[in-house]
Amino acid sequence: MQEIMARTLSFGLNGVNGYPVHVEAFGINGMPGMEIIGLPDASVKESKDRVNAAIINSGKQMIPRRITINLAPADTKKEGPSFDLPIAVGIMMATGELRPAPDKNLESIALFGELSLDGHVQPVSGVLPMVISAQENGIREVILPEKNAREAACLEGMTILPVSHLTEVISYLEGREDIVPQRQISFEELKHDAVCMADMGEIRGQKGARRALEVAAAGGHNLLMVGVPGSGKTMLARCLPGILPPLSFEEALETTRIHSISGHMPSGGGLIVSRPFCAPHHSASVASLIGGGSAAKPGEVSLAHNGVLFLDELPEFSRNALEAMRQPLEDGFVSVTRVKNKAQYQSSFMLVAAMNPCPCGYFGSKKRTCRCTPQEIRRYLDRVSGPLLDRIDIQVEVDAVPVNEIRQSEAAETSAEVAKRVADARQIQLKRYAGSGRHCNAQLSGAEVKRVCVMTPEAEKILHAAVDAMHMSMRAYNRILKVSRTIADLAGAEKIETPHVAEAVQYRELDQKYWS
Amino acid sequence: MERAEKVYRAWLASANLPYETINGLMDQWESADNVFRTMKEHPEALEIEDRWLQEMRKMADETTLDFLQTEIEKHQMTVLIRRDEAYPEKLRNISDPPAILFARGNLDCLRGRTAAMVGSRAASWEGMRTTRRIAKALSQAGIVIISGLAYGIDTASHEGCLEGESPTVAVMGCGLDQIYPEGNENLRSRILEKNGLLLSEYAPGEKPLGWHFPVRNRIISGLSDAVILMEAKIRSGSMHTVQHALEQGRDVFAWPGDPNSTHYEGNHQLLREGAIFFTRPEDILEDMNWLDNPENVGQNIPCSALDSCGTPEEKAVVQALIPGAAGFEQLTETTGLEPQALMVTLTMLQIRGAIELLPGKAYRLKEQ
Repeated sequence: MQEIMARTLSFGLNGVNGYPVHVEAFGINGMPGMEIIGLPDASVKESKDRVNAAIINSGKQMIPRRITINLAPADTKKEGPSFDLPIAVGIMMATGELRPAPDKNLESIALFGELSLDGHVQPVSGVLPMVISAQENGIREVILPEKNAREAACLEGMTILPVSHLTEVISYLEGREDIVPQRQISFEELKHDAVCMADMGEIRGQKGARRALEVAAAGGHNLLMVGVPGSGKTMLARCLPGILPPLSFEEALETTRIHSISGHMPSGGGLIVSRPFCAPHHSASVASLIGGGSAAKPGEVSLAHNGVLFLDELPEFSRNALEAMRQPLEDGFVSVTRVKNKAQYQSSFMLVAAMNPCPCGYFGSKKRTCRCTPQEIRRYLDRVSGPLLDRIDIQVEVDAVPVNEIRQSEAAETSAEVAKRVADARQIQLKRYAGSGRHCNAQLSGAEVKRVCVMTPEAEKILHAAVDAMHMSMRAYNRILKVSRTIADLAGAEKIETPHVAEAVQYRELDQKYWS
Repeated sequence: MERAEKVYRAWLASANLPYETINGLMDQWESADNVFRTMKEHPEALEIEDRWLQEMRKMADETTLDFLQTEIEKHQMTVLIRRDEAYPEKLRNISDPPAILFARGNLDCLRGRTAAMVGSRAASWEGMRTTRRIAKALSQAGIVIISGLAYGIDTASHEGCLEGESPTVAVMGCGLDQIYPEGNENLRSRILEKNGLLLSEYAPGEKPLGWHFPVRNRIISGLSDAVILMEAKIRSGSMHTVQHALEQGRDVFAWPGDPNSTHYEGNHQLLREGAIFFTRPEDILEDMNWLDNPENVGQNIPCSALDSCGTPEEKAVVQALIPGAAGFEQLTETTGLEPQALMVTLTMLQIRGAIELLPGKAYRLKEQ
């Protein structure tokens, strides 16, 4: 038997971007065996045993030949089991077991999928970025695991062929049977899948905090809530994704890409259409927050891209972890560098932090006496550094809700109603910042604040008086201006008026005297 | 080499002799200068025990004396002995007054009415706040507040007094050249700026050793007409001060504090044993017979705050706060205002200084 060379196409991942990988299989007479080259990692190397069993269990023979598999380009590290399927097809072609029908060009069909020993095709991570990359490379046909099909279903002009067993792939390639392509699902349709984790209608009382949440959402301002245990900080934070404007198609793609490569996609899930809400525990390491590991995987800040990152018990996070948050907060992306990998992940999120007012938690509580000394409280608060606090525009205390108010059944406003006002305010901002690369008030720099945040003379007087009376810093002054711009946008006002400034002042409680 | 009399007094103090020995020497030899000379020339003439003589010799070298001289001059210290006219009268009458007393600042402020305010270094926020308020009111009524310059209640007492009109006195447990505790260096200089006084029985260079403080406490109570315990646990230095005060026949007041909090254990025990109960600074003035200009303290704040209200919203908020502090949520209920409107009103009232923010997002009318 002569030597046969077969070539199939798949895609690999580098950060959030895919790149084409040509899987070459070469069979020759000689000592039977299989070698995979082209910098495979352990999971790719193990592929040969899975592929062997899967081929036999799909009714084909494993002809004993000497087979070399090359994953080109040979200089990038290949990871993960998604090469199982192209390798299996390549081997069958190289041993003459599979002869593709003339209309099937294996160099223009992308294949991904992990094989189980019985020949079933299992879902893999990173499908969306790989299919996008296929699209960019002019590939129109993709064979992928059934459970990943929805993830790529929103891409236009692609023929997505979902398969659940290797035999389906074989009969399709031999031209004996067709695969029903995945129906294209438009983004509009996908949007119906959006889930709201918590609705503001479920919150009783908390009128002040609700309003702060609305202002934060309207201007994209980061938010810090301080309150005694059980005052409802977590519940409030969980409502935030639901009142932010819905994800646009581009945002949904960006977010899904990151979730896809990190393997955090819900099984059978399509595009991520709700804003993500990530709440890492306070024992989280720097690498898990920012991204890292030998494969330079994305961290929580990137998983929260276009969504909300919620840090409960803020002072309990390690100092390093908190300081590392500063770059993503400032730039909207993180660069993760490891010995063999380097990746840049987007991480533009809204930070919502919550903390107790003191180590015992009951400073200022009406129900229990705080047993901390002022020095202890000082030390506790000092764990959150000034530079980090500087990046949080809205800092409010959350008052505990009296029990009788919880019992009251009077329905509060639902998230949908609040979201409408937020969306209107965001629209005003989008129009104002069109072409400047900014899209909300929170992103304004110092110079822009001066230009954009125009106050009426009375408002200016009030702001100066407040800054004097409450001993606020110049920095606080700028932040109040930004927040009052958002409040004015919510009210649909052209200029910032007195009530807007006066309300914004209330969102700087941490600057006020008793705390320092 | 000729040195001032006060350097030799400081030398005697630094030798750590018993008070009686020092008093005896000063009576017999008129001045510390003479004691020094006699010790050099005819030590046996001093007629004191050998071990004290050795102590005195140990400190008599030129380096030590130079050091004492520079420190005394640099800080403009006064060095008093018991028979001096400037020696605080109230202190002279306790059972064991210091034989030598170092002072920086205005000694005259001890001639009037004095009250000591004492309490824990690790005090609660509420305790410090109350202390500051009461110290300020007493200070405005012309009472000089005496305390120990430590953190916590001591700091609050001095600061409250400085906010009022009277000078304040700090009695320290180390030499007056030492900076202790470090964080209160600024407070110390403000005390001096405001015509106050620093006192110590320890010579310059003396470190703040642990055993100095209980001994120092008898000076704090000794200088005062009344001793006010603000916040103390049962086993604490403040309770020692109170013990001294009782032995010296001073009036002891105890702040009631929160009955559930362990911070006030000492107060509650004292109240059970018969300390004077008070809830307002006026109570102290009344019990001490200090009420000669009563209009000076205790103003009816809620009314004046209500008068200055410009808008009906402000009036509603002030009205809601007259019974006591209230949280934001509670205010939305009682005033019926929308959260935005309430926030605006609160800001306006805060700017005017009519209300203040408390921990836990509560507000209360500010006392003027």
